[in-house]
Amino acid sequence: MPPERFPIPQGTLDMLILQILSLEPAHGYAIAQRIEQISRRAVQVGQGSLYPALHRLEQKKWLESKWQQSETGREARFYSLTRAGRKQLAVEKESWARLAAAVRLIFEEGE
Amino acid sequence: MSKILNLLGGRRRRMERDLDRELRYHLDRRTQDLVKAGINEDDARRQAAIELGGYDQVQEDVRDTWTWRGLDDALRDARYAARSLRRSPGFTITAITSLAIGIGASAAIFSLLDQVLFRLLPVREPERLVLIDWKGNALADIHGSYNLMSYPLCRDLQRQDSFFDGVFCRAPTTVNLATAAGERPEPVGAEIVSGSYFPVLGVSPALGRLIQEDDDARPGTHPVVVLSHAYWLQALGGAPDVVGRKVLVNNFPMTVIGVAGAGFRGVDIGEVPALWIPAAMKRQATPEWDELLDRRARWMHVFGRLRPGLTAERAQAGLQPWFKSMLDEDTRREGFPQVTAEQRAEFLASTIEVTPASQGHSMLRRRLDRPLQVLMTGTLLLLLLASLNVASLFLARGAARGREIRTRLALGASRRRITSLLLADSLWIALGGGALGLLVAPMVSRVLLSFLPPNVAGVDLSARTDGRVFVFALVTSVATGVLCGLAPAWQAGRLPLASWLKDRTGGPGAGGVRLRKVLVVGQMSFTLVLLVGAGLFVQTLARLVGQGPGFPTAQLVTFGINPLRAGYSTDDSSRAMRRVLAEVQSLPDAGLAGMNLLIGGSAQNNLTIEADKRIVTDRVVHLNWVSAGFFSTLGTPVVAGRDFDTRDVRPVGEKGERSAIVNERFARRYFGEASPIGHRIGIGNRPDAKVTIEIVGLVRDFSYRDLREQTEQAFFPYFEGALPAGTVYVRARGTPSSALASVRAAVGRVDPTLPLLLPHTVDEQVSRSLTTERMLATLSGGFAGIALLLSVVGLYGVMAFVVTSRTQEIGIRMALGATRRDAVRLVVADAVAMIAAGAAIALPCVWAVSRLVESQLFGVRPMDAPTIAAACALLASVALAAAMLPAWRAASVSPTDALRFD
Repeated sequence: MPPERFPIPQGTLDMLILQILSLEPAHGYAIAQRIEQISRRAVQVGQGSLYPALHRLEQKKWLESKWQQSETGREARFYSLTRAGRKQLAVEKESWARLAAAVRLIFEEGE
Repeated sequence: MSKILNLLGGRRRRMERDLDRELRYHLDRRTQDLVKAGINEDDARRQAAIELGGYDQVQEDVRDTWTWRGLDDALRDARYAARSLRRSPGFTITAITSLAIGIGASAAIFSLLDQVLFRLLPVREPERLVLIDWKGNALADIHGSYNLMSYPLCRDLQRQDSFFDGVFCRAPTTVNLATAAGERPEPVGAEIVSGSYFPVLGVSPALGRLIQEDDDARPGTHPVVVLSHAYWLQALGGAPDVVGRKVLVNNFPMTVIGVAGAGFRGVDIGEVPALWIPAAMKRQATPEWDELLDRRARWMHVFGRLRPGLTAERAQAGLQPWFKSMLDEDTRREGFPQVTAEQRAEFLASTIEVTPASQGHSMLRRRLDRPLQVLMTGTLLLLLLASLNVASLFLARGAARGREIRTRLALGASRRRITSLLLADSLWIALGGGALGLLVAPMVSRVLLSFLPPNVAGVDLSARTDGRVFVFALVTSVATGVLCGLAPAWQAGRLPLASWLKDRTGGPGAGGVRLRKVLVVGQMSFTLVLLVGAGLFVQTLARLVGQGPGFPTAQLVTFGINPLRAGYSTDDSSRAMRRVLAEVQSLPDAGLAGMNLLIGGSAQNNLTIEADKRIVTDRVVHLNWVSAGFFSTLGTPVVAGRDFDTRDVRPVGEKGERSAIVNERFARRYFGEASPIGHRIGIGNRPDAKVTIEIVGLVRDFSYRDLREQTEQAFFPYFEGALPAGTVYVRARGTPSSALASVRAAVGRVDPTLPLLLPHTVDEQVSRSLTTERMLATLSGGFAGIALLLSVVGLYGVMAFVVTSRTQEIGIRMALGATRRDAVRLVVADAVAMIAAGAAIALPCVWAVSRLVESQLFGVRPMDAPTIAAACALLASVALAAAMLPAWRAASVSPTDALRFD
């Protein structure tokens, strides 16, 4: 029986971040909360790995960041998707879909 | 790329600040949310921090995405090392200075070595150029030295187009050049070249056109010259209308057709021509002799441009069949000399040799090749020694920093990180040393160049630091940095942590001292090698100076006169020379004057001797034609027989020499103890050589070109032959400069346009012939001095350290009844052991480098026992003196103080 909340699979954090930011720019804390909400609290994001991931994606020029007023009125660092990031998200979605299909195929065949 | 930019200070500081703000925002928001959920603020804050997973850890992880971890660490080490070095300026300055001396000296020598030995010609694809040479007996007259061929043979080779994309030939000479009519002609360097020279090299003109095939098609038809870029700028002020101008070459009018490209300075490093003259104009360029179309005159260097993809070896092998048939054809040619069967066989066994010549051909290279290699070896030893010194300094510092390093290790720093920190230290020092060294290098270069004749050093070699020297200095700096850093790093990585923590005195224990002692032994041995080398070179110089040329040089001035190069006919020239000598002899300033034929060059040939039977000299004899009064002017007595006099004047119309004077070496070699007087000799070794010249006198040996030379010489009366040029020697009464002034006036009375060639004193000439020896002696002496200083400082440092760390032991020994003498002996024994070990290592090294230096020595062998003994004694006495100071301190240790210590 699977645990109620499982840690996010390796490598999918980047994809989730890109997906969330494709809707609208957000700061780190908002991204962390949204990942949890979207996955209906099924996935737990180690907050420690969120920031290194954001910075890594920014270094890759998939994200850009700027300081803006947040909903509380205080300045926060907002990340948004770049054109390259949007392209990358499409690529990742596509390969995820193929992987999922392949996995499903294997499971169905085994039954 | 951006990962590297992220290392830059300002950008990095902004990123750090932003990250801190970002993370604090996260924590504050989470805390707020948790408080809203009903948790009290302190707990909320703690939980937020826990969820984030450690503030510092996240920061570190984020930083890792900015740049590469290793690089970041290395930079941080570098910054830390720089700070800590700034805090100990004494250490830093000492270490940087030692390395700067080593790196500066080696960069300077490298710069010269690079210019003389390694630089390729600045022409199109220099790597395809080859030198083509005759190997064997060419049965030819030789004008010049090394690798010479005839002009017709160059023409033959030009038809070998399956091997070469082109073949050219060239010969260096000196011509009297006047750039305008009525101007006083000046001797300048010139290159006589075939029409293919510029096209094959691929040189382009800066102005006008260059010499081409049809300028060299038929002798005497194209009186044209090309000027070098440097000469055009310097002598003609870069006049734009120079093309088409008439100049006088040896008083013969020729037209300037162009100026060569700026970087091109001929194919001979060290002999930079002012102009190029087509070979077809050879009669005008060298009026003394014209054997342009003579197959038996060897005077030119022949170069080829290999066809693409062909190697020198393959071209050489491929050319042999053609060469054999050429030799065969030669023997049947009209005018082929009558020779013995043996000589003919030697001739036919000749082969052709093709060697890579991407750097051209250079006498300077031949002369400086070995000396520069010797100096390079010396400087590298010095650099190594300086590195050992710095390594030793670092070990001492490492000992002082023991507590810091132990603490770092205890706090979990890896040995790799400690090593990297220590290496950062030494790399800083080395780069500092390298930078300072580069500043010093041009000064050292200038000193080096000042040893070389100014016409060479000024024109073709420079003291400037170019990219290659910079790279050399950078590479040596990094290498020395790693070398100096390795010892302390190795030391730090080796010791078990526990023993360090236990050791409270702060030192890295006995191991550090042992390593430092090993370094001192290395320094001792390098120093000894350098001392022995310096001893050998200084003795070489002293012996050569002591020996002298074999005659008193004081007050002796000399100059050349060549009326042929002022447009005189041969007969007029002879008459002019006679008048010049008479004018000079009548000067009140001149005690005596005499002259000989040779202007800088030398004539040599075999002689055939009629003794009991007809014999031929087994090697060439140096020949010279001298005037009456030559030997007395020089002060070389005729020891048997007589000097030349009126009896040697031949009847008008009779050709050839009638009488000769030989030197003692010649007499000893071919007549043994018997007197050579009255025997007859002939010039040349061919069976048809006429043996009719009577030996009338015997003179002391003396040298006139090189103090090392020990040659057999024969002299003939000057005015017998039609030899219309020569060098005049005057024994002056007043000062040499006033004598030269009145000589100039005397020559002016004969013909005011006749230039004096190379007027100088014989003392200058002797001194100039010793440039290489003086350079080696001075520099090796300097290196040895610096080496001695560095190694003695090293020894002193270690001994002082040993005494400090053994104070307790010495105190106990003295408390138990040891005397002061015992204490001194304890310390000195240590020093003696190091010196002895150094000597033991050095001797095989001296033996190993002896082959390198052997050819540079004179009158002393490379394994000269007295020199080695003296060097050992010098090193030992200086080193022991340095060791006595700490020893004295050891002896004055009071047992009570020592035991109370710690």
